[in-house]
This record gives sequence, structure tokens and C-alpha cells, in this order.
Amino acid sequence: MSRRRAPRRISLSQRRDAPAGGEWRQRTEEQRRGKAEVREVEEEEERQEHHGKESVPRGTCQTMCPTRELQDRQLQNCLHRFELLAGTERDRRPRGDPLRAVKEYSRPAAGKDSTNSSDLRPAAVLLKTVCYLIDKVAASPHLRPWTEVYNFVFDRLRGVKQDMIIQRTSGLNCVAILERTVRFLIYASYRLCGEPLRLYDPRINDTHLQENLSWLLDCYATGTEPHPNQEEFQALGLLYNLGSARAAQHIMELPERLRCSPAITLALSINRAFHEQNPVRVLRLARRLNFMQSCALHRHLVSCRRDLLLIYSHGFSSRNCRFPLDRLAQLLFLDASLTTRLCQAHGVEVNRDSQLIFSKAAFTEPEQLHCKLYHNIVAEKQRDLSVGDIIHGCT
Amino acid sequence: MAHSTINQYLQQVYEAIDGRDGSFCSELLSFKHPHVANPRLQLASPEEKCQQLLEPPYDEMVAAHLRCTYAVSNHDFVEAYKAFQSHKEENWALPVMFAVTLDLRIFANNAEQQLQKKGKGQPAEMLEKAAEQLMSCFRVCASDNRAGVEDSKKWGMMFLSNQLFKIYFKINKLHLCKPLIRAIDSSNLKNDFSPAQKVTYRYYTGRKAMFDSDFKPAEEFLSYAFHHCHRSSQRNKRMILIYLLPVKMLLGHMPTHQLLRKYDLMQFADVTKGVSEGNLLLLNEALNKHETFFIRCGIFLILEKLKIITYRNLFKKVYLLLRTHQLPLASFLVSLQMMQLQDVDLDEVQCILANLIYMGHIKGYISQQHQKLVVSKQNPFPALSSVS
Repeated sequence: MSRRRAPRRISLSQRRDAPAGGEWRQRTEEQRRGKAEVREVEEEEERQEHHGKESVPRGTCQTMCPTRELQDRQLQNCLHRFELLAGTERDRRPRGDPLRAVKEYSRPAAGKDSTNSSDLRPAAVLLKTVCYLIDKVAASPHLRPWTEVYNFVFDRLRGVKQDMIIQRTSGLNCVAILERTVRFLIYASYRLCGEPLRLYDPRINDTHLQENLSWLLDCYATGTEPHPNQEEFQALGLLYNLGSARAAQHIMELPERLRCSPAITLALSINRAFHEQNPVRVLRLARRLNFMQSCALHRHLVSCRRDLLLIYSHGFSSRNCRFPLDRLAQLLFLDASLTTRLCQAHGVEVNRDSQLIFSKAAFTEPEQLHCKLYHNIVAEKQRDLSVGDIIHGCT
Repeated sequence: MAHSTINQYLQQVYEAIDGRDGSFCSELLSFKHPHVANPRLQLASPEEKCQQLLEPPYDEMVAAHLRCTYAVSNHDFVEAYKAFQSHKEENWALPVMFAVTLDLRIFANNAEQQLQKKGKGQPAEMLEKAAEQLMSCFRVCASDNRAGVEDSKKWGMMFLSNQLFKIYFKINKLHLCKPLIRAIDSSNLKNDFSPAQKVTYRYYTGRKAMFDSDFKPAEEFLSYAFHHCHRSSQRNKRMILIYLLPVKMLLGHMPTHQLLRKYDLMQFADVTKGVSEGNLLLLNEALNKHETFFIRCGIFLILEKLKIITYRNLFKKVYLLLRTHQLPLASFLVSLQMMQLQDVDLDEVQCILANLIYMGHIKGYISQQHQKLVVSKQNPFPALSSVS
């Protein structure tokens, strides 16, 4: 090891963006052992740096699915039934339709090169892919059941996101894609509510929703271009994360002109009512939400109604208590029979004259609550909106 | 110091390391020390020199430090930060680590601001990376089981936690504080760290408890910090008070005007007045007027929780006025309407009252049939401090 080499080695590894923990330590060790390969790699990278070569991959694939993958999956009989060429479904080896096949999500793995340009789709193609997934799959009246549609679209959207991450996409295309992804996941969280766990897992949906939402909000924060939908999504983020101090603080730190927009003002007032422990007000304000916003708030409905019953169980607790069922039904935005059912699930007694007997001792947490039974308050907002309209945001 | 040559400087570093003089060594590597202004030390590529005189890992550390002085002299905080990232694990010189990690955080801050002005980079990117570095230092300290108590690296834990808290609060990722708090709470050194470190630690754990709505521990921690904070640190005491005040108010203890004036916190004056008088109108006006200040401090949302206390105080006034134990619900509605609250009706009044009963602020029950609130004849509005 000549003295001349050594100084260059230090400056190289230190000047690059220091990688997290393990990688750095490994390289230092290898340096100390003086491995020849490390030196070679570093010289190559130094040469690249000197040429000012950008190391960010740029996709060139113009189809929704790279040709190579389509052929591979066709050979291995791994195509999804939504990707098949019409008429070949019952063949021994069905053929893929290049107009319907979409690149799968594939988990990154050691030794797998995911940066091959011909396998990556540029941003414009990604947006077209997303629109196809929405218009021809998610919104399709023919493809059923919707749980299968969801799983397919979920996976392919994940593949789109992966391409974006690898290419470090940003800007308007990125925002357009993320906005549609977030709307899709929010809509799904309502539509598939109550489906069995093996077909739909709300926690997985939630994890991905939060990731995409978080990236979207970062895009809004860093870009300099105007974002016409920002108001909508900031509000959706707050509604979906109702009660989260972090989400509320984020909204409070937005510029005033944005914070005063109608959607965010409404979301903030619902959040405020939630913090003041006033579920009557929360449910009342929720009536003003549009369909997508209601979907975002949907998962908090169960706890909101439960809070109401709990508070009333204490507030009205007396031996002679008689609270009219109809009155409660109005507050809960449910019909009489559903209200009865909900009360019974929470240990609130309903007598023969349709009067409720609140008692703080009697209130219980329900074992299993089927939210789907009770979420008509969201359903009725959908009216004649098509799935396509909902996800593209033409409400 | 400001005029020594690079050789003289490196010689001093070498002697400090050889003599295990942690505090002197830390000065030589700290940005608070005058040596950083010495142009002879501000070198873009000092690696070779350092290698000649010092052993690894000190050669790399010092080289990075010198590159950093060069970058800072050119106001390139992003480069300075990158140079700093290479210092990490130190095995015996805790003061050195303290100095270096403190500078690291400060540089990350400055780099953030520079990048933001240029509109580049993801928000919080630099600070997150700094946090990762600090976290690995923390792990090294926390897992040091070999040395005896005096030589243990565990003494570095609280300092590092405090640095990390500062970053996590800034990037609004408070949940990352939890493992640090757990590690320190389970350590047997927890009461023996320096007073300054303990005050800072309690300040941040108090704020975290506030954020998690654990108001009793929040009051305990922040009170500790306030009382043990050095009398001369007015600024720090004021900062602690900004968070202690809302917590105390939620527990029913209103600050005096004297206190607010002493620490220049008159923004809280009308808030306090509104809450204690049950005057929702004044409270809302005060919150609006100083909104920017409260939001910047991150206490706006907590102050909104004071509304529940304010309702309680207002309704207590109604009770005192009417002098009966069976209070018509309509009278509460009138009191709310006097506070210019829009679109409140009897249903919401019932809900607010029911909630106050549920929380223990009112002893009694609502009679739907008679549209009355029936309160206990004994102490129907228990003192706020007695309600958990």
C-alpha cells in the first residue's frame, strides 16, 4: 500500500454522503485490511464522479409492463387474470395482453438489479398506468369481486411507487400519481370495511396510505409550483388522522391562506370538537363533509359513537332515566333499529317504550362491532358518483 | 492558538490524545474554541498531514474537523455538515463526543436552513441524518457494560438524549423519543447526571408528556425543570414556563399577573382571565390574537383543551347565580349564547354537560324528562386540582 493511495481513500469515503451505520463501518474495515477490490471500486466511482455522471436511473420503458417481464410471467404462467388476452383465459398457457399487463411490485433483494432503464417507466408513462388502473380496473363495472380488484390495483400502484422512488421522481407527475393513490386507498378503506382479513387487511392499507400521504405532503412542502389540490389533501390527512397531535400541529403550521380554506377549516373544527370531547358536534359537522372526506373520517365513526354512548351513560345515569330512542337516533345519524342494536352492543338498556335507560355501571365495550352496518352516513354521500370520478377527484 | 501552524496544532492534538486529556482534546475539536478562526488550519485537504502525525481513527476525525473549518469559513454549511458526519464513535473521550455532537446538530440546523432557502432537498433531511449519527453514538454509550461506573460511557447517555430530543422536536417526530426515555429511566445513573443535563432532560420529557396528554407527569417534570433551572438563565426559565403554564392551567392553577410580567409572557394573561372567569368569548379572542405565538411554541392545541375547564367555570357561575340544585338546561344554553358561540343548541349543551359529569367536573346527572341538570347538594363542582 503506497503512501500516495492512502489519503485519497480517506477523502473519498468521507466526502460522499455518509451512508447509515453499517455500510460505513464495513468500508472502513475493508480499508484497513487493504482489500484490492475496494480500491478498484472506489477508483471507478471516483472516475464517474469526475465525469459528473448522474447516478439516478432514468426509465425508458414506454409500456405499462416491461416486455421482458411480460414474457417471463407469461412463460411461468404468472399473469393475473386481469392481464390476459381476451379469448386465451382457458388455454394451458394463457397469453398476456400488453394493453392490460402492468408491472408488478417486486421486493428489492440483494443481487437484483432494479435500475435497468428498460424496466423502468418514466413519469409520464407511470401517470398513464395509474389512470388505466383507475379507469379500467378499479372503476370497471365488470371486474369482480372488488376485493380482488383492490388487491391487484394495490400491488400495481406499489410497483408504480417503486419506479418513482428508484428514479427519484418529483414534480407535478409525482403529485398527480400520489394524489390518486391516496384517494384510492381512502376509498378502499371505506368500501372494503368489514371484509374478512384474508381478503383485506385494514392495517396494511393504513400503512401504505400514511406513507403515500406523507410523501405527498412533503412534495407540497418542497415544490415551488402551485398545487390546486393541496387544500383537499391537507384536509383529508387531518380527517384520516383525527385526534393525532402531530397531524393537527402540521396543519397549524401551514400558511394562513391555506389554513383558512373551507375544507381545512371544516376539518379543523371537527378536530377541535373531537378534542373537546363533544361527539354530538363531531357527528353534526361530519354531515357537511363530501364523500371522499367522509371516507377519510369513516374509521373514527365507531369510536365517536362509542364515546357518545359512554359520555351519556355517565351524564344521564340515574334511576329514573328515560331518554327517547328517537332523539338518540337523530344524534347518531342512524335509524331506530340500528340505534337499538348499537345501544344493546354497548350495554345500554332499551325498554319497551323505546326509551333508553342510561347507567354508568351498565356501559360495556362491545366485543365485535360491525362498522359496516352503521356507516350509512358515508354511503349516502356517494349518490351517483362513479368510482372513477371519486379517485380522479372530480367530485 | 489562533496563530499556530498546522504542525503545532496537530502536535497539541496528539499530546492531548496521548495524555487522555478529554477536556483539552474536546476544545481542540470544538467550534466554540478560537482555533477554528485560524486560516492556517482551514484546509480543504488536510488528510495527508493528519495521517503523518496521528493514528486512526483520530487522523480521519481531525482531518474531517479541519475540512469543516475550511467549509465554515466559506459559509458552506452543507459541506461542513458532511465533514462532520465522519466523526462518530469515540471510545474514551466523552467531552470530545459532546463537543462534536453538539456542533453536528448545530451544523445540521444551519445546513437545513441553507438548503431551504435554495429550495433544494427534502425537508428535515439533514437533521434526520444527524439524528441517525447521534443515535449510533447513544447505542454505543448505552451498551457499555464493561467499564466500571466512573469510566462507563453510560455517562454520555443523557447528553446525547437531550441533543436527540432537540432534533426530534424540531422535525416533529416525537415518537422517536420513547426508546431514549426508556433507556435512561431504566438506568441506575439516572439521578446522578449533572444538574444542567437533568433540567434539560426534564424539560423535554415534560413536553413529550404534554404532547401525549399525560398532564400529571408533565406538570411534575416541567416543575422540576423550572425549579432547578439556574436563576440566571431567564431565557431558559421562560421557555420552561411556556409549557408549564398550560399544564398547570389544565390542572386548575392559574398563574399570577406578577409571574407573567416577570417572564414577559403576557400573551397568557387574557387566556388565564378567560379560563378562570368562564369567559369563553375572552378565551377565544385571546387564542386568536396570539395564535402565531402559540402555534410556533406548539401549545395552541393544548390551550384549546382549556375550553373544557372554561365550560366548567362558566356553568359553575350559572349554578351559583340560580342557587338551586335543579338547573334548567335552557339557562346553560343562554350562558353559551352570551359567549357568542354559534350554532349551539340544547343537544350540544347536554353533550357538554354529560362530558363534564363523565370527567368528574360536575357531580350530578341530567334529567331528560325535566330538561334539568340535577347536581349533588354537596360540592357539586369539585376543585379542579382534585379531579384527575
